[in-house]
Amino acid sequence: MLLIPVLLMAGFLVLPLLAIFLRILPQEGIWTTLQQPLVTEALQLSLVTSLSSLGLTALLGTPVAYVLARYRFRGIGVLDTLVDMPTVLPPTVAGVALLMTFGRQGLLGQWLDTIGLQISFTTVAVVLAQSFVSAPFYIRAAQAGFQSVDGELERVAYTLGYSPLRTFLRVTVPLAFPALLSGGVMAWARALGEFGATIMFAGNLMGRTQTMPLAIYIAMESDLAAALVLSALLIIVPFGGLFLVRALLRRRNVVAYA
Amino acid sequence: MLEIALQKRFDAFQLDIAFAAHDGIIVLFGPSGSGKSLTLQAVAGTVQPDSGYIGLDGQPVFDHRNGINIAPQQRRVGYVPQNYALFPHLTVMDNIGFGLTRLSRREREQRVTEFVELFGLQDLGRHRPRQLSGGQQQRVALARALAIRPRILLLDEPFAALDVSLRSALRQELMQVQTRSGVMILMVTHDLADVFTLGQQVIVYDNGRIIQQGSRDEVFFRPVNERVAAFVQTGNILPAVVDRIESGTLWLDWQGRRLAAAPLPFESGTPVYLCVRASQILIVRPDRLTARQRENLLDVDVVGQDMHAETYTLYLRLPDSDAAHDLELVLPGYVYHRLELENAKSLTVELRRQDLHVIHRQDTAASTS
Repeated sequence: MLLIPVLLMAGFLVLPLLAIFLRILPQEGIWTTLQQPLVTEALQLSLVTSLSSLGLTALLGTPVAYVLARYRFRGIGVLDTLVDMPTVLPPTVAGVALLMTFGRQGLLGQWLDTIGLQISFTTVAVVLAQSFVSAPFYIRAAQAGFQSVDGELERVAYTLGYSPLRTFLRVTVPLAFPALLSGGVMAWARALGEFGATIMFAGNLMGRTQTMPLAIYIAMESDLAAALVLSALLIIVPFGGLFLVRALLRRRNVVAYA
Repeated sequence: MLEIALQKRFDAFQLDIAFAAHDGIIVLFGPSGSGKSLTLQAVAGTVQPDSGYIGLDGQPVFDHRNGINIAPQQRRVGYVPQNYALFPHLTVMDNIGFGLTRLSRREREQRVTEFVELFGLQDLGRHRPRQLSGGQQQRVALARALAIRPRILLLDEPFAALDVSLRSALRQELMQVQTRSGVMILMVTHDLADVFTLGQQVIVYDNGRIIQQGSRDEVFFRPVNERVAAFVQTGNILPAVVDRIESGTLWLDWQGRRLAAAPLPFESGTPVYLCVRASQILIVRPDRLTARQRENLLDVDVVGQDMHAETYTLYLRLPDSDAAHDLELVLPGYVYHRLELENAKSLTVELRRQDLHVIHRQDTAASTS
């Protein structure tokens, strides 16, 4: 009774992925397709922007996650809901919202424009769009990680002369590290696949804002082979990252906490 | 030296306490949620009181009126929480040396070695906390706290996480640590056995307030009210009424019996509780009834018996009573067997006047049936 829906669902999830590879593999010239500027530029830009947005998310998201994990104050419910907002917001809407904020006529954009800073339709806009949609993945994982670290450990460190910052770096972060790392990978994978917010806020300029998902969208009209190769890469790369981190964490766990 | 007077409000809970202690082991005793751990955290500096004063060795670490609140980093207190809070990602040696970052590398290594040896952890230096038994974990936590040469050691329920069978040995260890290092210990517990063994000075908490403080014997044998009497498991807290005071004797009426107690300034008719520890009730053998001046003799029926390892508990009832039992009596196994009490149906017991502790009774309900 259960077998049929399970098999149907599994097939539904796996078959489309399989279809991409089945379509690519018999073709010749995968290598040349890979070396096309459309593909190489998109790949390079995607790696740079997704890693930059991961850095930005970690920098600003870590304190937020710590506050959510440790403090109870009026207004924390608002902060908690805000963190979920990008997850439920359609990416296109997020892109429009970012444009209304950072665009030349935007809330902050018009002010930035007067000092000669333009963000929309630049690589910076790509990073902001990716950070906006991927931050919740990191923040939620980090929050759970910090919550799993016993507050008594921090209190003991204080009495042993450690400032809150040193305690955080020497006690809390090492213990929450597995959660931080897997949250980081999830956020990075989400940033890598970001499409809607990017195309709205950053446009589709090759070499500047055309990341892999955007390049696929363009290539579908002209060059199916390139679209397929890029799609395959977007499957393999995040999966590989996830797999690598999981393997690393398993080994680290055995060594560190045995 | 420790001086505390502080107030702290937490929602509906209000902590308002004051005490002072010079040295040795001070035990904060009382039910869970009475504010003992909160007091410990206030001394450690991880909780800030709303008002009051905390002084260590004559120096204020918190003084609300003068705006003093020394950070926990600068208080030099050894804090050992209930679960020991060892750093799971560090070895035993790194845990012990964790608070010694201000020392030079060489001094630090020396200090760690000293404390590793002091606590017999030589073979475990490179182990991680998870690989240690509960008792070993406690030793590491104590070593880590003492390595910074604290002005006071704060222990939160130090034995609660351990097997009962381990506790008495580790209590002895803690006593030795205290004697050897001379460090003052402020310890939180709700285990009466801790109070018995370690409580040089006992402070009894109830619902955010101190209801009694004094030596262990004072708290055990002279509880100030029936709450304390119940906390220290007095066994027999008997509602009685003051009959009259004669020269040198306070006469009480309990269940229609006249009992003589040491004189206290009570008026006739005052409702009181008569506290007698279960181990203080004496069984009088029939052939020794007139061996010396006896008083407060009671004829009772034995209505139940309990055995706890080395001791026996007898439940006794007055012949004309309809209670389940009126008195509880505890005696060592060898006495129990010598008196052949297995099949005892009735006994004569003596409540010696020096063992009777009389306290005020707040409620005015009739004491006798």
